Amino acid sequence: MNQLSRRTISLFPILVCTALCGCVTATVQQVREAETSLTANDSVVVLGRRNRPSSAETEIDFISCVSKKVSGGDIRVIPEQEFVDALFPWFEPRTAPLHNSDLPELIGQPLLAERIREIGLKYLIWIEGSTQRTNSAGSMSCSIAPGGAGCFGFLSWENDSSYEAAIWDARSGRTAGRVSSDAAGTSYMPAIVIPIPIIARVKNGACTSLAEQLLSFVKNKS
Amino acid sequence: MQYRHDIRLYTLVLIAATIFGCTTTNVKVSDQFPVPLMPKMQVNLGIHLDDALKKFVYREKIANTGEWIIGVGAAQENMFVNLATGVFESYSLVSGPDQAAGMDGVLQPSIAEVQFSIPKQTRSKYYEVWLKYQFKLFDRQGNLVGEWSLPAYGKAHKQDYGSSGSALEAAALAACRDAMAFFSFNFEREPSIRQWLRSGKPIVPPTPAASPTTTPAANQTGPTTGIGIAHSDSNKPGV
Repeated sequence: MNQLSRRTISLFPILVCTALCGCVTATVQQVREAETSLTANDSVVVLGRRNRPSSAETEIDFISCVSKKVSGGDIRVIPEQEFVDALFPWFEPRTAPLHNSDLPELIGQPLLAERIREIGLKYLIWIEGSTQRTNSAGSMSCSIAPGGAGCFGFLSWENDSSYEAAIWDARSGRTAGRVSSDAAGTSYMPAIVIPIPIIARVKNGACTSLAEQLLSFVKNKS
Repeated sequence: MQYRHDIRLYTLVLIAATIFGCTTTNVKVSDQFPVPLMPKMQVNLGIHLDDALKKFVYREKIANTGEWIIGVGAAQENMFVNLATGVFESYSLVSGPDQAAGMDGVLQPSIAEVQFSIPKQTRSKYYEVWLKYQFKLFDRQGNLVGEWSLPAYGKAHKQDYGSSGSALEAAALAACRDAMAFFSFNFEREPSIRQWLRSGKPIVPPTPAASPTTTPAANQTGPTTGIGIAHSDSNKPGV
C-alpha cells in the first residue's frame, strides 16, 4: 500500500502534465544534397535568419532551443552570439550571406578562413521560420467580489510552427541539405471558477523534431 | 502616522502613473562590442570623440506610454575604440580635430539624429531604432577632408525580451553594431575618403567655414595638394 502510494505520487506530475498538455502534430522532412560527417574537433553553429529587408525574424529562443538540443547529442555547438561576435561584421543582418552561392567568396577571405579554422566550424545551420497563432475562439470573464473571485468561460487557440534549416558546409562552401519541421497544435483553457490551461507546446515540438533530425543529418545517420 | 501618510501618497502616485501612463523607460546601451575582423586600412588616424557624443542621450515622449530615454553616449567610446582597432592600421584617441601630431588625420563622429518606434506605434512586433551618424575627416593640419553621414538601423522582437526597456536597448545596440558594420565596409568607398587615400593622404586647402582652427598649424609636414572633396549625404535613415 505504501509502495503503491509512493508510485502514485511519483507519477502524479507526469499525469498532470499529460492531462494539461495539448496535442502537437509535427512533420519533419529532409533533403540531402551531400554526404556529411563530423569529427571530435568539428563544430556547428545554428543561426537565425535576420536579413533585411525581410521583416520576418526567427525567434531567439527557438534558435537557443535547437542549439541546446543539438549540443546534447555529442556535437560541439558554438552559441549564436559568440559566433556572430567572432566573425563580426560578416554575419550582421545587413551583411550576412543570403544565398549559398555567397559562401565560397566569404570563406575565401584569408582572415575569415583563418577564424573559421580556429573555431573548427564545419557546418552553418541557417534556420528560417516562426510560430504564429493562426486561430482563436471562445471567451472568458473573470470577476472579483468581496466574497471571492472566479472565472467562467472557454478559450481555445491554434498555433502553427513552420521552420526550415539549411545546412551549409563551411569548408566546401556547398549546401549539404535542408531539414524542415512543421508543427501544429490547439490549446484550450476551460474555466469554472479556476481557469485550467491545457497548452499545446507547438514551438517546443517543432524544436525537438528539428533538432533530432539535424543531429541525425550531420552525423549522416539518415 | 507620517509613515502611513507616505505609503498612501506613494500608492496614489503609482496608481496615477499607471493610469495616465506617466512612466519613464530609461535604457542605457551596453558598451560591449566586438572588434571587426577586417583587413586593416593602411591609415593612422586620431579619433576625436567630443563630450556631446560621449554624453548623448535621446529623450522622447510618446502619448499614453510616457517618456523614453535612450542613453547611447556612454557606449560610444568602446564602440569607436573597437571599430578603429579592427579597421585602421593604428589609431589614438585625441582631444580635438587639429590634434593629429604624427598621424594622417583625425576622424570625428557625431550623432546627428535618432529615431525610434515601439510596437504600439507601428502595429508590428518590433522595437526599432534608427541612428544617423555624421562623420568628419580632417587632415593632419585640421582641414576638412570630407564629411558624410551614415545611417544605421536595429530592431528587436518584443517576444524575445522581458520588458520594453530591454527590447529597446537591444534594438539600440543592434543599431550601433549596424553602424560599425556599415563603417567597416564603406569607409574606404566614401568618395572623398577614397580620393584622399589614393592621393597619399595629403593636406587639403583650408576652407574658413570647415576648418576647426582659426590659425594655420605651425608645422606643415606634407605637400598641400588641392584634391577635390565631395560631400556626400546620400544615406538617409530608414534603411
